Amino acid sequence: MIMSAPITCTDDSETPAPVDEDLLVRQARRGDLQAYDELVRRHQERIYATIYHMTANHEDANDLAQESFIKAYQALKSFKGGSSFYTWLYRIAVNKTINFLKQRKNRIHMSLNDLDFKAEHDPDLMALISDKTPRREAGLTELQEKLNDALLKLSEPHRLVVVLHDVQGQSHEEIAKIMDCNIGTVRSRLFYARQQLQALLSDYLK
Amino acid sequence: MYKNENNFESLRRLLALKRYETPPPGYYHHFSSQVLQRIRAGDTGTSAGWAEDLFGQAPWLEKLLHAFDVKPVFASAFAGALCLLLLLGIIYAERPDFTPQPILQTAAASPTAVSTPTTSLAAVSPTVLSEPADQQPGIVTSTSPVLSLQPVAPPFEQTSSLAQPVSFSPSGN
Repeated sequence: MIMSAPITCTDDSETPAPVDEDLLVRQARRGDLQAYDELVRRHQERIYATIYHMTANHEDANDLAQESFIKAYQALKSFKGGSSFYTWLYRIAVNKTINFLKQRKNRIHMSLNDLDFKAEHDPDLMALISDKTPRREAGLTELQEKLNDALLKLSEPHRLVVVLHDVQGQSHEEIAKIMDCNIGTVRSRLFYARQQLQALLSDYLK
Repeated sequence: MYKNENNFESLRRLLALKRYETPPPGYYHHFSSQVLQRIRAGDTGTSAGWAEDLFGQAPWLEKLLHAFDVKPVFASAFAGALCLLLLLGIIYAERPDFTPQPILQTAAASPTAVSTPTTSLAAVSPTVLSEPADQQPGIVTSTSPVLSLQPVAPPFEQTSSLAQPVSFSPSGN
């Protein structure tokens, strides 16, 4: 996994016009693979990133992301349009990932051998590793490892909320739709997940 | 309670670093073509399975199982309730003093029984009336009343089918 330019937050304003997407969905439902190709291109980064942050493994994330898109294509006829295609697709990916994580016995931690240190120029990161705290000695690699270890200690629903909100920048409402629960549940899960993470990463948050 | 975002500001900044983790360069250029290739090949995915399809059709089932997963107390309570129901069923089935509704009493109390005296108990079921007094009144074993307890003569003449000893003595020596 390479650290490069961050994936920016996903606002609704960045997503393509809903009319175009609806048209693409209708065309894909009729078997137009070119239209579905366009849909895949639009959502591949966010779907992949979510799965990757949940599994902490590139190969698993690649397989699951591909399978999510395949499953979505096969289930397009059952897509009623009650939610946006994006939310519906996210639900498929999230369910698939959670099922996978339940089945996976030995969790494989991500490989950090090929870190790209472009990230060192990030001011937030520099602030975090330049103080006279244990993080100075740890450096970027250890910080990244600790962060991922801490995330993997959370339960799947709590991890998912943190990934969707704090990593991907989704709103509470959107997360509630994706996870098919109410906003209060999202808020409480986020709160307890952050509390746990804060305890686990206390050395790096002084 | 959950609105104090400032407490987690440094944590959020730390978590935002994960946005730097992206796949190898060029990964997304081939991603959609790989997906379409698998769709054309009729690939259905490897880890989907029947459970995922079932959950897709019945989301409540997934929620229930998820509740069991998250709260073992809930799972224990559900299992306990099931065991209790099973025990109650067994006890109820094996109860010896199971008494059905007294049909004749109900029939006698009904207005039709009052208005038509010809359908009295004596006319309908003489066997019930001839029972001893210590028995519960009105208990019948069949809905069709027994009108006569006399043995019914067979419609055809019976031929004796008894075996008789046969003596055989060879003659004419």
